[in-house]
Amino acid sequence: MTFGQDSLYILRGTWNQLPEAPEVLRLNASADWSEQNHVFEREADIASNLVIVNEDTTSHVWALLMGEIEGITIEPGDTAVVDLPALPMGTYRLGLIDGEGSGLGAQSMLQVGLQSGGDPALFHWNLCDWEAQQMTSWSSGSEPDPNAAYVPNYFSINEQTYPTTLEDPNALISVALGDTCWIAVANHGQMDHVLHFHGFHVEVLTSNLQPTRIGWSKDTVPIKKGEGMTLQLVANQAGIYPVHDHNLIAVTNAGFYPGGMLTQIIVDP
Amino acid sequence: MSTVKHIFHILVLSSAAWLAPSLYAQQQPPQLFSGMEGYTFLPGGTPVPIWGYGWVADGFITLPAPLLTYTQGESVQLNFTNPSPESHTIHLHGLDVDQANDGVPGTSFSVTTGDDATYSFDADYPGTFLYHCHVTTTLHLTMGMYGMVLVTRPDFTLYEGGPTYAEDVPLLFSDLEVATNLDPVGSYPFHDIRPDVFMINGESGSQLEAPGRIVHFEPGQPLALRLGSMAYSRVVCQFPPELNATCYMSDGRPLPTLFEPNALEIYPGERFTVLIDPEPGWDGSLPCEFWSMVDETLESTENIHIRDAALTIEEPQFIGVKGYPNPTREHITWDDARQIEVWNAYGKPVADLRFEQGVLDVSGWPIGTYVARIDGRRSVRFVVIE
Repeated sequence: MTFGQDSLYILRGTWNQLPEAPEVLRLNASADWSEQNHVFEREADIASNLVIVNEDTTSHVWALLMGEIEGITIEPGDTAVVDLPALPMGTYRLGLIDGEGSGLGAQSMLQVGLQSGGDPALFHWNLCDWEAQQMTSWSSGSEPDPNAAYVPNYFSINEQTYPTTLEDPNALISVALGDTCWIAVANHGQMDHVLHFHGFHVEVLTSNLQPTRIGWSKDTVPIKKGEGMTLQLVANQAGIYPVHDHNLIAVTNAGFYPGGMLTQIIVDP
Repeated sequence: MSTVKHIFHILVLSSAAWLAPSLYAQQQPPQLFSGMEGYTFLPGGTPVPIWGYGWVADGFITLPAPLLTYTQGESVQLNFTNPSPESHTIHLHGLDVDQANDGVPGTSFSVTTGDDATYSFDADYPGTFLYHCHVTTTLHLTMGMYGMVLVTRPDFTLYEGGPTYAEDVPLLFSDLEVATNLDPVGSYPFHDIRPDVFMINGESGSQLEAPGRIVHFEPGQPLALRLGSMAYSRVVCQFPPELNATCYMSDGRPLPTLFEPNALEIYPGERFTVLIDPEPGWDGSLPCEFWSMVDETLESTENIHIRDAALTIEEPQFIGVKGYPNPTREHITWDDARQIEVWNAYGKPVADLRFEQGVLDVSGWPIGTYVARIDGRRSVRFVVIE
């Protein structure tokens, strides 16, 4: 696990999932472009820091989106070292909070006290909703009409829309019968989402916006706009089971079903 | 009114179309069917096309679909036939069934036109669940292919060690967009679906004020509100303090910490079980708000009307709601009852009833949940145990 400095690059590139958006922004772990935002890890209850490099051509405002750290403006080509406070175990959102930065999808999560590659196995789902028209405006350098109705038409997990969610090793949960795994979930979209698990109930381990639900066993889990949540799944039956947003407009791509915020849990016998 | 005790009206589920085939209302065949030629009626009487499920012997579909009730521990065989022109399934939402019975095309199976199927599962957990079609789900749900499933316990406790209650009150929230239902073929793109009718048990507005829709209570006899949502909206139930509401369960599991709901949020697909024991003499409503999931605008507020049974001017429908003892091994008694009809949990009528002077002889009956209709009016659930 990484305790101290590691780097986060603000990059501009193309995203195959949304044909209408010629360019998007991402937070990557290196200067090499990836259409998926990088997920960071930190140990619980230990302060650390993070280096942010703005490789984009415009300035952006970065923040840990939990209200405890003010946004930091980073000019094009500049580098900033930001302090991360000691945090309890949980899933936290981070990313760009300027209109263009968030509108073009430079948002990810900080997993605190949740170790990938360990036991329980850790998966992550960065949820987001997108409106192609709004994305087109941002990527062409103009601010979308703030009075226009928001009509999202793409919905993603880890910047993938079904069926390509099944090609992402974090969006697709693949475990063995009897395994326990954790799923870190963050909702970066402009609307609430509600995940329905076929075949299983999951336990809410952490939540920043719905702490009263910690400990609940649920098959249908609301993830509020701006929320970070950690879920525990016990794979107690073998098979292939869908997980999807039960706001069913979100299981579409450009209006066509099936698509969007839909993935699977595969439990090997 | 001094003799008016134990008067509970199970909230009649939805419109006449729902009422007729409801488990509590009349004989049911054991087989569901799916159909694509039904109608629901808006408060002004305007018919709106629906797709849905119904009982085969009834021959028509309802909005919402018939209530399915099972007893905890029951091994369920749910028979289904699809005479409609498109494939359909039954997804048993929240019952954690295995992959083969999950009702999802691709990972389990579709029931094509003219085919029959049986869904098998064990009702391991008591609670409130849902069922719906999982074929082109976005469309088939807004067209009306959904219903509620209750898994209950013989001793009228919510769960092992949980509180006792007098009666279940199923309340299923849903919505539809009239334009989509009028023209489902032309409903693309699906992300444009924006509901404009907001329903509780398939009804809205003035329909929910009809006498048969009012939930009656007797002080000291808690009612279990079985709240579930198949809506596209976020539903917020604003509990008046006089209801003395306590939330015990969500999604078919007990909550680690009980709470007294003020504004209870219910997202699409979620369920809650809330016990209410209203103040004596209370006559009011439980407002349920439907909020858009897209832009957080308040679309509608629908009201569940709740009234102390002692205030009703209707003729008492039945004296002795639960019967006693209930559960039972040999006999169950309803004082003053004159006539009785009984169905098993699969909707089959029980023939050759031994019923005299309010006492029904159930010795030798298979264990399970039964529904009795007393004097042609009041329907209640009772349980036969070993």
